[in-house]
Amino acid sequence: MTDEAMRELSARRRLNVGWVSAQFGLLIIIVAFWTVISWRAPGFLSPFNLFTVGRALAVDIVIGFAQMAALATGGMNLSVGSIGVCAVMAGGHLMQTLGLPIPVAIAGALALGAALGWLNGFVITRTGVSSFIITLASANLYSGAMLILTKAVPLDRLPMGVGAFGKLKIAGVVSPLLLIAAAIGSLLFILYRHSVLGRQILAAGANARAAKMSGVPVDRVVTISHALSGLLAATAGMMVVARLGAAMPAVGGEDWLLPSFLGPVLGGTLLSGGAVAVVGTMLGALLVTTIRSGLLVMQIGNFWLQLYLGVILLLAVLADRYRALQSERRGIPRR
Amino acid sequence: MKLFRHLLLVEWSGLAAAILLGAAALSFIAPNFLTEFNLYVMLRSLSVGLLVALAQMITLGVGQMNIAVGALGGLTAIIFGAAMELYGFPVLLAIPVALGIGALGGLINGLLTVRTGVNAFIITLATASAFTGINFGITGSIPFYKMPAALVGFGDRHWGALPYLLVAPLLVALLLGQFFSRTAPGRQLLAFGGNPQAAELSGISRERVVVSAHVLSGLLAAAAAVLAVAQLGSAQPTIGADWLLLSFAAPIIGGAALTGGHISVLGTMFAVLLLGLIQNGMVLAKVDPYWVQFVLGALILVAVGLNRWRAVNSGRLE
Repeated sequence: MTDEAMRELSARRRLNVGWVSAQFGLLIIIVAFWTVISWRAPGFLSPFNLFTVGRALAVDIVIGFAQMAALATGGMNLSVGSIGVCAVMAGGHLMQTLGLPIPVAIAGALALGAALGWLNGFVITRTGVSSFIITLASANLYSGAMLILTKAVPLDRLPMGVGAFGKLKIAGVVSPLLLIAAAIGSLLFILYRHSVLGRQILAAGANARAAKMSGVPVDRVVTISHALSGLLAATAGMMVVARLGAAMPAVGGEDWLLPSFLGPVLGGTLLSGGAVAVVGTMLGALLVTTIRSGLLVMQIGNFWLQLYLGVILLLAVLADRYRALQSERRGIPRR
Repeated sequence: MKLFRHLLLVEWSGLAAAILLGAAALSFIAPNFLTEFNLYVMLRSLSVGLLVALAQMITLGVGQMNIAVGALGGLTAIIFGAAMELYGFPVLLAIPVALGIGALGGLINGLLTVRTGVNAFIITLATASAFTGINFGITGSIPFYKMPAALVGFGDRHWGALPYLLVAPLLVALLLGQFFSRTAPGRQLLAFGGNPQAAELSGISRERVVVSAHVLSGLLAAAAAVLAVAQLGSAQPTIGADWLLLSFAAPIIGGAALTGGHISVLGTMFAVLLLGLIQNGMVLAKVDPYWVQFVLGALILVAVGLNRWRAVNSGRLE
């Protein structure tokens, strides 16, 4: 094996160790939070509350995945919330106004989400302009179009099955939504770990030029990633519809922006692209959900929530830098 | 044709033409447009927007961004309000306090960005959330209503169609124009934005450039917040909540490069004026307000495309 390859391998191994320790640290923090919260507010561990937390967690996880799919390419998607709410309203209309069967309506909403995401990717790769500005613009285009078309009127006469699915409990505590989120997680894990497309996406994210020279169709995989991001955002939107039993034009939007970054970044997904942490994103989402519902149960005003979330994101970023410095200090093997 | 092409290459020429055309069309369609009162109301709300756009333009100049402009503006606004209502600060003392808070917030953003080496996007996303949390935590989202008469009066006063409030952004723009074109620190900021490695190799301190850009940005966000309080007559916790899009749209439509190193003070101001004109026109034409967001998004895309075309044609890009 050549020097270069050795160095590459050891760097990758180190990165893997870095992730594991990031996720281990996250797990410890989550356990600490659960201990403190359930000690201060015993109601936190009641089956009903666990069910609600799990249902909220499912949405947070999928929102995180939607951002993670864009981060993998080294870009970002500021329009996750807008695509989410577009899917919500589209799904609602298909069910309520057109009276389509639920699965068809869901498929339509998901297809819309994927199409909007694909449009993001198409414009980004065609113009070469940063994904930040394109998705900032498209977020407003999509939200604006949704408001113009729906006049911001909520749709609350959806088929009974939708709300009933959201209230469904497996074994008394687990929401099927959480199982769906977990299933999506395993599919993404397989995609990024074991499929050619996934490896190509990560290669393009790590170093677009090198990937292009090695024959990776960079533009295509970036576009696919954005379509995937849109599809996942739409999925999160449909989960919210199931949870509320109605299609509200006020969900998503900018409210999803911070959580969408919190999950992946806390979990160890690199902002610079080329590395994703599927399990980490789920843990990151768990921490966010825990803090949000913990504050609620302990009756600490919701007003401070944003402060805690912001500080935790900062701490996560600092911890990440510290870890990177430590592994740098341990040194690349020199001869 | 050649002249037309040349004019298109000047950043703000298209904007100026669009503004003139738009104003002419508006005065034709809506007779109320040219009334003194309508122009005054439009310019008064522009005053805040101008400062917000300039605040973002500075961070764009060094190749970074400040997602926290609005959050910092909101926090500053309520501290400004609290200082006057709860602690009885006179206006002239409360303004420096507010500006100080803004600069401090910018300092935190700048130091965190430089010291961690993490993308300013994620740092300011986090601090934005923290600033908003403090804002809502302190106020419980209840505004401060009892603002001194002197401040509110200043916010209402005008010469003809020109509001007194407009003086602040014009002064700031003048100073910024001088700063970026004539002074060494200003040139260093842009040099760093254009090529950080080359700038550092020529002895420009990364830390000083990034921190000072964020401090200036925070300072202007705070100034915008003070104007917003004067304009609204109360310190609302929601001030700044809708600044983000405008803050990016205006500098970019005005010709700033997202990659840093290239900004246009005049272009940014024209862009704010154009956006204000569009908003005003939509109100006068009684267009569904939901269209505003859509049109803003579309305009950014058009501007990005135009900037790119200009960059390719003026040889700045291969």
